[in-house]
Amino acid sequence: MIEAHELTKRYGEKTAVDGISFTIAPGSVTGFLGPNGAGKSTTMRMIMGLDRPTSGTVTVNGRPYAEHRSPLSEVGALLDAKAVHPGRSARSHLRTMAATHNIPSSRVDEVIEMTGLAAVAGKRVGGFSLGMGQRLGIASAMLADPRTLILDEPVNGLDPEGVQWVRRLVRTLADEGRTVFLSSHLMSEMAQTADQLLVIGRGRIIAAGPVQEVIDSVSAAAVRVRTPRAGELADLLQADGVTISSPEPGTLDLRGIDAADVGELACAAGIALHELCPRSATLEEAYMSLTQDAVEYRSDLAATTSAATTSAATTSAVPEEGSR
Amino acid sequence: MSTTAVAAPVPTPLPRAVVAARPTFGGVVRGELTKLLSLRSTWWTLATTVLLMTGVSLAVAGSLDSMAADPSTAAELAALTGPVVVSGGFQLGMLAIAVLGALVMTGEYSTGMIRSTLAAVPTRVPVLAAKATVLAVATAVVATLGIALSYLATMPLLADHDLVPRLAEADTWRVFGGTVFFMVAAALFALGVGTLLRSSAGAITVALSVLLLLPTLLVFITLDWVETVVDYLPLPASGAFLGGGEDSLSAVGDELAPSAGVLVVAAYAIVPLIAGALALRRRDA
Repeated sequence: MIEAHELTKRYGEKTAVDGISFTIAPGSVTGFLGPNGAGKSTTMRMIMGLDRPTSGTVTVNGRPYAEHRSPLSEVGALLDAKAVHPGRSARSHLRTMAATHNIPSSRVDEVIEMTGLAAVAGKRVGGFSLGMGQRLGIASAMLADPRTLILDEPVNGLDPEGVQWVRRLVRTLADEGRTVFLSSHLMSEMAQTADQLLVIGRGRIIAAGPVQEVIDSVSAAAVRVRTPRAGELADLLQADGVTISSPEPGTLDLRGIDAADVGELACAAGIALHELCPRSATLEEAYMSLTQDAVEYRSDLAATTSAATTSAATTSAVPEEGSR
Repeated sequence: MSTTAVAAPVPTPLPRAVVAARPTFGGVVRGELTKLLSLRSTWWTLATTVLLMTGVSLAVAGSLDSMAADPSTAAELAALTGPVVVSGGFQLGMLAIAVLGALVMTGEYSTGMIRSTLAAVPTRVPVLAAKATVLAVATAVVATLGIALSYLATMPLLADHDLVPRLAEADTWRVFGGTVFFMVAAALFALGVGTLLRSSAGAITVALSVLLLLPTLLVFITLDWVETVVDYLPLPASGAFLGGGEDSLSAVGDELAPSAGVLVVAAYAIVPLIAGALALRRRDA
């Protein structure tokens, strides 16, 4: 259980985290989603007592992290895959962590085995790939078999097999009744891994709840139409509240109107439809619309894309990530 | 939207913890010892310290013959004592050990290891206390080893001039003990500076400047207040209890009483550590 109340962190003029409050419950995987620079890592560092909040409080299992009798038993954290001295072997690194809590070295061997590092445990960490570094980070998080796990971008740099492994691991841990809190800037990853979502942008919580609810709350359903007379249909559909985009010639994506109305209109105008398909918004679309105003470093490409989406019935090809 | 509760399914009961974990200060010290000994750079630095100490005292012992032959240095030779020749290499050895002292802390910041360290010991100050303990012991061992090796290596050369330190004499142990004490203080001073500055380059520059560069440069300035400042720098202050040859930096500070010299050197070790502990508690990692 992680509880934050009005948590705020300012670095000089810049507000990294802006008065956020949330509760992360045990027994489920909660995804912490937001663009880079949104405040995810800062929030996680404050939970771990590494950064001091400017104001507000955050507790883990009822207390500030630093006040726990056995901190590593309460929270295991992968905050940064590089939080390791590159000159030390993986096993030595884990032993230094284990020693502080008098954890037996048999447990060190166990987490090495569990994370698949057995073959490289004696090698210096400086030579590790990003993926192996992540595995070592997860091994040290698991060291004291903690009740709460905090994983900052755990699948970064992992190969597909490693990604599967992390998903299964966090699922198992959550099913055992633990609190699992993991961050990502990838919506698709969250959709496959998390039960609950906490979406952050520019230091503020912009959405929270079960994954599907969050998606439904932000994006209207869309209707896809294929017709040889797309231009005529688009002119016909021009109305308040209807957004039309054209991912490819002869295909329209419509928002603000349901499939039945589109069918009636087309029939009345004698336009043949080759496809009429209602579809719910995808995660990526929901994410984009959630964080549209909250992206810290927006690229020009993103700006062009959103401009094109709002212009009606253009033939410009707007990539539709989620339609697959 | 600021207040948000993330609803969750009813949690299943938590299994009993299978891993016994019980943090103690002894455990933190063991963790720091593992950290220190599991880095190659530690072994290189410690070996360098011993080699520098032995090498310098061997060089001094080897030049005794020519000192005796030259009338201009004969007087200097007469003032030289055996223990001072044997432990004389500490002025270079302390540089290597100070670098180690700084790196013990700044290496954690430059690699990001500090976040793992402080996650394991979120009360923080025990980490610095454990580092100081481990560093002090390691330095004492290495300094003792350096002196012992110097003693054995220089014995044949010193015998010619009747300068072999007499192990039955209190003065011998005063110089040897004082040397070990000074080396430990130099290491802890660098650790304290490293904790305050958090940067390897900055901490090493400051530590080596205060330990060696300032006394070497300021000694040429004859202003009264500068001379007073020099007296209170660590190396000159060590002269108050180490004695030392005429051209040794340790000899500059014979203005201080031996006990005052010990206190000044101890202050260099302790004050930056306390300031470092306060900063460590306060700052973001």
